[in-house]
Amino acid sequence: MTWVIVAIVVVVVLGAVGVIVRRRAQGADGVEMFQRQIDALSPEARRPVVDQVQQLDPDADDPDDRDDPRGS
Amino acid sequence: MARDLAIDLGTANTLVYMKGRGIVLNEPSVIALNRQTGEVLATGREAWQMIGRTPGYIVAVRPLRGGAITDFEITERMIRLLLQRVGVSRFTRPKVVICVPSAITEVERRAVTDAARRAGAADANLIEQPMAAAIGADLPIDEPVGNMVIDIGGGTSETAVISLGGIVALEAVRVGSFDIDAAIQNYVRREHGIAIGERTAEEIKVAIGSADPTVDENQAEVRGRDLMTGLPKTVVLSPEEIRFAIEDVVSSIIASVIRCLAKAPPELSQDFLVRGMYLVGGGGLLRGLAQRIERETSVPVRMSNVPLEAVVLGAGHVIEHYEALKGMFMGVRR
Repeated sequence: MTWVIVAIVVVVVLGAVGVIVRRRAQGADGVEMFQRQIDALSPEARRPVVDQVQQLDPDADDPDDRDDPRGS
Repeated sequence: MARDLAIDLGTANTLVYMKGRGIVLNEPSVIALNRQTGEVLATGREAWQMIGRTPGYIVAVRPLRGGAITDFEITERMIRLLLQRVGVSRFTRPKVVICVPSAITEVERRAVTDAARRAGAADANLIEQPMAAAIGADLPIDEPVGNMVIDIGGGTSETAVISLGGIVALEAVRVGSFDIDAAIQNYVRREHGIAIGERTAEEIKVAIGSADPTVDENQAEVRGRDLMTGLPKTVVLSPEEIRFAIEDVVSSIIASVIRCLAKAPPELSQDFLVRGMYLVGGGGLLRGLAQRIERETSVPVRMSNVPLEAVVLGAGHVIEHYEALKGMFMGVRR
């Protein structure tokens, strides 16, 4: 009988530890993922893409010169 | 191995960004079909030139209206042809990110992703146009500050407040620059008794259309078909007339901007007074619109350096940083 109680306690404790570890890991993933997302949205990360078009379009600095108001 | 793609599937124009290459295609979202056989005769610019000028057996259509697919089969064929033109084949299936209006329904979302997958994409994900526009317009959306972007497209106008990489407030109306063209068509028909085509209405908008009085205003001669006699007729239109004709559409767009401002949290609202709002999309190029929005909201309005390309550039940035930014796709966050 004692062994059964000990076994149940051990299973419950291991289960609780497992849940806590998993929650902590998920929390860390969330923080890490958010940080990666914010880093990927930084001006430095965006510079290569934005510069590509500004190099292609010499009039890009002067949007008033554009004459095509069609929607995109 | 196919290069991944970002597509701005707009009501008016479709732009494609290829990973590592930049914008590789920018064409009107138009397809011309043989009405009898269903065969595709032309797409893009070539098909756009056919609008309103085709013989009975050819039909030139825009398969998207209000940013949503109105004809699934034709849209799928158009996307397939666009993908083929940028090098996608049966053996090279890229990941695709598609920009769509934030207000589209679940059914419309599914229609877009299904059309892209059936057209050759290995995986298709969607991103909201205002979010993509804010990324492409180079706004500091990674910071905890209020960034406001107004995207006026062919069929939709969306205003969003963005902070820390997420949308805080959003307002969208299914009204865009095509509604301005339609309003001009209706006005000319009603007040001058002549019928003009879609493209002529657009030309009038480009030539003398404005949302607010501007310094250099000229009249324009317009040719159409007299509704009474059926004969060709010329009339002269003034900028005041066009402003009157498009007033309802312009007011509706500005009302949605004001609703979005009202939804923004106060901490972010104060940022707009300093940083201003950014106008993107082809509809934003209507003369006097920025001044009119500024006058009615008392918030400075700035034009993006890349108003027509901002959305596809933003989606292109997402495709370049796919793993880090995949949490921004529609359906993933909610």
